[in-house]
Order: sequence, then C-alpha cells, then structure tokens
Amino acid sequence: MAAFWNYLSSNFDTLAEHAWGHFYVVALGLTLSSIIGISLGMLSYRNPTARAASLNTSAIILTIPSLALFAIMLTLPPPIGGLGARPVIAGLALYGLLPIVRNTIVGLNEVDQAIVESALGMGMGRRERLFRIEAPLAWPVIVTGIRVSGLLMVAIATIGSIVNGPGFGQMLLSALARIGSATATPQALVGTLGVIVFGICLDGLFRLLVHYTTPRGIRG
Amino acid sequence: MADSMIKLEELTKVYEGTEEPAVADLSMDVPEGEIVVLVGPSGCGKTTTMKMINRVIEPTSGRIFLEGEDVTSTNPDLLRRRIGYVIQQIGLFPHMSIRDNVATVPRLLDWDEHKIDDRVDELLELVGMDPGRFRGRYPRELSGGQRQRIGVIRALAADPPVMLMDEPFGAIDPITRERLQNEFLRLQADIKKTIVFVTHDIDEAIKMGDRIAILQDQSIIAQFDTPEEILTNPASQFVSDFVGSGAALKRMNLTRVGEVTLKDWPTARSDEKRDTLRNRLDDAEQDQLLLLDDDGRPRRWLHAQDLRTDDELTSVGEEVHGVISANSTIADALDQMLRSHYGTAVVVDDDDRYTGAVDMAVVLAAAEAMGQSAGADAQHRLADADVETTDEEQVSG
Ligand SMILES: Nc1ncnc2c1ncn2[C@@H]1O[C@H](COP(=O)(O)OP(=O)(O)OP(=O)(O)O)[C@@H](O)[C@H]1O
Ligand SMILES: [Mg+2]
Repeated sequence: MAAFWNYLSSNFDTLAEHAWGHFYVVALGLTLSSIIGISLGMLSYRNPTARAASLNTSAIILTIPSLALFAIMLTLPPPIGGLGARPVIAGLALYGLLPIVRNTIVGLNEVDQAIVESALGMGMGRRERLFRIEAPLAWPVIVTGIRVSGLLMVAIATIGSIVNGPGFGQMLLSALARIGSATATPQALVGTLGVIVFGICLDGLFRLLVHYTTPRGIRG
Repeated sequence: MADSMIKLEELTKVYEGTEEPAVADLSMDVPEGEIVVLVGPSGCGKTTTMKMINRVIEPTSGRIFLEGEDVTSTNPDLLRRRIGYVIQQIGLFPHMSIRDNVATVPRLLDWDEHKIDDRVDELLELVGMDPGRFRGRYPRELSGGQRQRIGVIRALAADPPVMLMDEPFGAIDPITRERLQNEFLRLQADIKKTIVFVTHDIDEAIKMGDRIAILQDQSIIAQFDTPEEILTNPASQFVSDFVGSGAALKRMNLTRVGEVTLKDWPTARSDEKRDTLRNRLDDAEQDQLLLLDDDGRPRRWLHAQDLRTDDELTSVGEEVHGVISANSTIADALDQMLRSHYGTAVVVDDDDRYTGAVDMAVVLAAAEAMGQSAGADAQHRLADADVETTDEEQVSG
C-alpha cells in the first residue's frame, strides 16, 4: 500500500498528463460519435430499411475486437491512420456509434404518435416536427445513449495506447512491459483506478447534463 | 342552408395493403357556420373521413374543396394552418408551456410575439382559465378537463374558419364531458365556426350537431339530416337501429306538451254535491276525479270511496303531484307520469290553472305522430313502461 501512495505522489504530474490525454480522446471521440450517430438516427428512424442498415452497421463495428481495430487504424493513411491521438479518436468515434444511433432511433420512434399527429395536423412541416417536437421529446433517451457510449469509450481508450494514443493506457502498457519490477504493480493499479474514477466522473456529469437539458415540462 | 364551407366529392380511401376501401365514394357538403357530426359504429370510417379533410390522411381519389377552392393537391401544411384540429388524445406538446402550445399555429404563420401574447390571453379567458395562472404552466400541470380546453383553444388560435374535432370529449368523465360540451356550444354560438365533429355516441351527436351524418361501413351515408329528422324519420333500419333503444325516449325530448292534444280529465269543485260527483265518476272512464280549487288550480285526486265520506273534499283523496306546463317536453311528462300513482301528469297554464292531462294514451298518440316506424318502436317500449308503472302501483298501493 505504501508503494501505491509513493508512486502516486512522485508521479503526480504524469498522472495529470494521462488524465488530460484520456479526457481529450474521449471528449473528441464522443463529440464525433454523437454528431454522426444522431445524424444517422435522424436520417433513418422513419424508414425500416434505413433503420436496420444503420443499426446493423454500428453493431458490427462494435464486434470488431478493439485491438484489431486500432491495428487497422495504424495502416490507414495520415488524417486518420498512423500513430498518436488521431487514430484513437477515430476508433472511439466508430465504437461509440451503436448506443447513440440506437437510442436516437428508439427515442424518436417512442414519441407519442398523438403528439406528432397533432403537430402534423396543425401544419408543422417535417423539419419543424423533428426539431421542435420529436427531438426535444426524445432528448433524454438520446443523451442516455451518449452517456453509455462515453463510458464505453473510457474503457476502450486504454487499448488505444497500443497505437501510442494518450491516456491511462500508457501507464498500463508500461507497467505490463516492466512486470516484476517494484513500480509495475502500483503503476498498473494507479492507471486502472484512474480509468474508473474518470468513468465515474463522466457518468455523474452526464446525469447532470440530462437533468438540465431536459425541458421542464417532461423532466422526471 | 348557408354556402358550403367544405365540400367533399367522391372521396375514397383505400389503405395500403387492404382491398376494401375504408371510405368509399363519399360526397358531402358542410354548410358554413354549422356543426356537422359524423357518427357511426366503430370502424365505419369516421376518423378516416375527417382526416382526409386536412389531408393528414391523403385520399386515394376524389376531391376536397375548402371555401370553394380545390385543396386536394395544394401544399398540405398551408392547408392545415387554415383548419383547427383537435384529436381525442389532445396531443398537447408536453415540453412546451401552455402559451407555447397555444401559439403553435400563429408562430407558423409568423405573427409577431405581442399579437401572440394577446391572443393567448384572450383565448384562455374565453374558456375561463386565468391567463396569469395558466399561461406559464406545462400540460402535465393541468387537469384532464383543462387540457381538453387548451386543445380546443390551440386549434382556435389562428382563428381558422374550419375546425375538425375527433371525439374531442371522448376521454373524460361524464360530468366534465357534459360541462365541456355545454361550454363549447356556448362558445360556438359566438364564433360560428364550421365544424366537423366525430363521435360514436349518438347522444353526443344529437346534442352537438346542427346536422348529423350517420355513417355505415366505408362511410356510406345512411342519413344526413337534422337531429329532429333523424329521430323522427329515420331513413332506414340501420339508422333506427343505430339511434337505438333510446330512440323513442330521445324523440320525446323533441316534442313539447303544448304541441299535443291533451286528455280531458273529469274535474270536481268543492262546492258540488256528492251525488253529482259520484254520477260524474261513474260515467267517466277514469277512476278518479280531479279536484280543483276556486281558481281552477288542481288540488286532489278523489276516488269513489272518498266521495262516500262526508269529510271536506279538500281533506280526502290524494294530493296532486306531477304538474307540468305546455313548455315541458313529452319526456318530462313521462317522467312525471311514472312518479305519480295514476300514470297521469296534470298540465297547468302560466297561472297554475288546470288545462288538461297527459296519460299513456296521449304519449302514445304523440309518439305515433312523430313518425310511423318510430311510433311503433315507441309503443313497444311505452307498453313496457306501462307494465312497470302498474307493478309499482300495486307495490305502493
Ligand atoms: N392505417 C390504416 N391502415 C389500414 N387500415 C386502416 C388504417 N386506419 C384505419 N384502417 C381501417 O379503416 C377502417 C376505418 O377506420 P377509422 O379509424 O376511420 O374508423 P372510425 O369510424 O373512426 O372508428 P372508431 O369509432 O373506432 O374510431 C377500419 O376498418 C380500420 O381498420
Ligand atoms: Mg375514430
């Protein structure tokens, strides 16, 4: 236990750096994933074929082992591929699609049909219905999808370190490489705890976000 | 009849994946300023018909005219903004305040916000809801009846000439429903909108409709007429079946006592001799005399045994209950008859003076006059009612 505290105090700067790196890739990955996922959901939620296509695609992506996905990223040309943060962000954005796409589709389709019909009957066009009625009502469900996706990314981002992505994964990799040495175990422990604490913080943040971005009339 | 505000020409709707049309070749004129009620059994196509008017359901064929203009293939959103729309589930937007809900169509029409504010407050007041209290609330903070009112004023917000209402009072308790119906009828007397109103409840149709269209399967019009005509002259067996078991009684609400020939009841004055009275009763087909006071007001029922005593006539016999006037409906008369021991309601004038009596024979004759097939129906039922009264008499006598 003493080794753990020792390690923590003497490596605080690197720890902060890894935390920032982790945050950076997850935040960007999640932003990208949300933009793509919500758009896909909104484009496909009405049409059964399009719906199945977007759900199946994002589901298949999630089944690719992360190790393999990052390895593939490595071989891709520069803007996405190569080493560093960028391939990790791209990979995370892909992994995070399923919960967001699925919740967007479910949320939009779950909106009470009587409400949608009264909007239609009053002369609201398709876009007005989507953005003024359906999306605000589906919002709590959509944010929940983003939250699940974020938690998924916090875990997967650690694997991103194999393509030299920033974050707590760096600590785990280096601990693995030096297994048996005195600091290996505390380092692995600190890295793991970092991931967990990070995940808990993100989860709490999202709960607050859901609460404060949900319109008052439908807040639970 | 005023000009037709809505004109439907051979409207047909065949839903995708079905063979039979849900609405077949429907033609109908809805006159300006009237409430036309579409009523018929479940699944006959009322909702489909109504929703084709604002093209929430697109017709398979046929044409729709609004204010003389062919709107069958104009921009549907622009069309819908000219037509108020109220559905049974109301469909208020739960994430918007009452103000924003009511402001929906004015916003789509780009009204300025001041004008919208004024309009929202005016409408809230119109249905007796204090704007200061309710403007900022959300739908879930209202009672069912209040939500229903908001649904109605939201549809009225941009002052459309036409309103479509699909079972607008369907999902509320009977007492609130009755209140909302009356409130709406009062409102309509002022605003005079052209309204297409869907219900499956014939009583609601009779109450709300200036005109009723009774629809059969596929929205085939069985009869399109005023409530009076439908009750007194049902066009077919289908209509009389649909108007149903209460038809005879409902019709009783349409005729007033003053319009029928009353029965002359043998009367008595307190200063008349016992012998004269006994003879009069013997000669009469009735079993009682009606004792009147000096002003001709009915006082007591006198039986044969009452006339055998020497007591004051005003203290024997039985008090008269069940007095009605020429303005009472036959239904009121029937109600009084069933309560009185003798199956008779006494009719008085404005000064409470006896003018005649209503008994079963009078009611039956009135029913007869109200329509042939309908009359037969009524006799049946009234005969049953008669039996019940007799039973009651035995129990209480
Ligand atoms: N979307 C649809 N697809 C296929 N058939 C439909 C659809 N909507 C309605 N129908 C059918 O069309 C017919 C008429 O339906 P409609 O809803 O107009 O009846 P309604 O008179 O309003 O009945 P209710 O009193 O039960 O509301 C019914 O047989 C119904 O099953
Ligand atoms: Mg219906």
